[in-house]
Amino acid sequence: MAYPSVKPWLNAAAEARLANLILYGSVALVLVFFYVPIFTLIAFSFQEGRFLTLPFEGFSLRWYGELFRNSNAANALWNSTLIALFAMVFATLIGTLAAIVAVRYRFRLRIPFTGLAAAPLAFPQLLLGIVLLLWFSVLGRQFNFNTGLVTAIIGHVVYIAPFAMVIVAVQVFNFDATLEDAARDCGASTWEVYRYVTLPLLWPGIFSAAIFSFLLSWGNFYLTYSLAGSTRTLPTFVFSGIATGSSPLYPAIATVVFIPGILLVILADRMRRKAA
Amino acid sequence: MSAVIDRSWRDPELLAKALPAVLLQTTCFLAPLLMTIALTFQRTRDFQLNWTWSLYTWTDVFTKPHYWTILGHTLFMAILCVALCLAIAFPVAYALATRLRSFQNHVKVLITFAFLTDATLKTFGWVLFLDKNGAANYLAQGLGFEGELVNILFTDWATMLGMVYNLLAFAIFTIYLSIDEIDRSLILAAYDAGASKFRAFWEVTLPLARPGIWAGAVLIFLLAVGVFLEPKVLGGGKSPMSAELIRQTFETRVNWPLGAALTMVLMTVAVFVVLLFNRVYSLKRHMGPA
Repeated sequence: MAYPSVKPWLNAAAEARLANLILYGSVALVLVFFYVPIFTLIAFSFQEGRFLTLPFEGFSLRWYGELFRNSNAANALWNSTLIALFAMVFATLIGTLAAIVAVRYRFRLRIPFTGLAAAPLAFPQLLLGIVLLLWFSVLGRQFNFNTGLVTAIIGHVVYIAPFAMVIVAVQVFNFDATLEDAARDCGASTWEVYRYVTLPLLWPGIFSAAIFSFLLSWGNFYLTYSLAGSTRTLPTFVFSGIATGSSPLYPAIATVVFIPGILLVILADRMRRKAA
Repeated sequence: MSAVIDRSWRDPELLAKALPAVLLQTTCFLAPLLMTIALTFQRTRDFQLNWTWSLYTWTDVFTKPHYWTILGHTLFMAILCVALCLAIAFPVAYALATRLRSFQNHVKVLITFAFLTDATLKTFGWVLFLDKNGAANYLAQGLGFEGELVNILFTDWATMLGMVYNLLAFAIFTIYLSIDEIDRSLILAAYDAGASKFRAFWEVTLPLARPGIWAGAVLIFLLAVGVFLEPKVLGGGKSPMSAELIRQTFETRVNWPLGAALTMVLMTVAVFVVLLFNRVYSLKRHMGPA
């Protein structure tokens, strides 16, 4: 199709400069935007006073000390870690298997399978939490159990397994299946092919899925809020605190939470790049 | 590239791998969802659920305009949030995919970390930043501005800021992936055919990035419809959105059928809006210049 020639309103060099300005500028602005609350929290965690207002009365590590003496916070930290570890193991396992099925095989029911396995991705978390809470409440009345750690873990796995599936699927997609055939031709058993060929090749994807799963669970608010019963994790502990009035403890909690997060994200990135 | 293997769906190896996901999502996603639908046709008496079938809840839902006003407000906020996220995310995703060669991984790590950090804490960070005596005004006064320059905390603006903040990364990731997959030679071909950089972008890159834009928009919309943290913490709970209404119905009023019905209404309307946009969008593509 022919387009009428239009006199450009900018010459090529100016156009390129403008494009670069917009592009680099937007990245810079978005990074600033993303880190505004994070740096605010870190800054506030080192302040001396009881009130979370500026200017600071002074700098100190006082609230970190208080944090480690606070048994509720320590308990919440322990619960968060426990839930995240279990959610990570199950979500990664289920997600990995589902990714292999969805990408490597062509079979009838493939589309319904993928849709079902990925469905919770597009479901608002609070509503997923509520729907599951109703489910567990009705089941709980029947079989006499209460919501708590276990139901929270189940809820997290339902929500996170699809994420793990998508991450591993990318790795499966780039997978060279002839390597498996080669191993089989050399006399490897099905298990040996898995153990020595398939798994090592998919490992970087599985590993980053695991880290993502851990962090998604660790930072999850909505599902824990609905499903953990009286068990508190860090996010729900902080939320219940904010709802009743802010405490100088929370910025310190936040900063403590950030550290393993950034380390894990860097680690996951290293693994993925090594594989690429 | 992995070879696709043809299998019968009854193949034992395939079934074994598919089973965990199928079991999990049928027992803990599909079944609860169906039960929620069934719940909407029940009644409560003295805060206790009665398993007797009735249309009471639904007549209540359809006769009280209050629920629908809140739903309208929620949809408006969600659509605005999608528009803002797409507008902000596109240049960032484009820059990530086409510029920033050496910094690309660092930027990706920074965005991923910000995305994966606990939303409650980040939202609280915004409260500290936007507060009248908070960091924003302190910085503004340091720069010589008089009075309280930033005064949006506990308004819909703050809610919107929080929503965009918490959901933006989804659009950046999906759009980045679709731009990253574009074959460079197509753009070079457009240059050879005499297209300016802008025209090549408009006629080649943008249409090819559509799947990512669309995926990001749908994901963000469906998540934005269900937010409750941002309106509560940043909006001060002044103009409740549907998720907050639903939460109250369950927790304060202990009315499960009504809560379940409002959940279903919200989900149905959300999916309907997505389908509607999809239809308008594909119509436009068929009727517009090819």
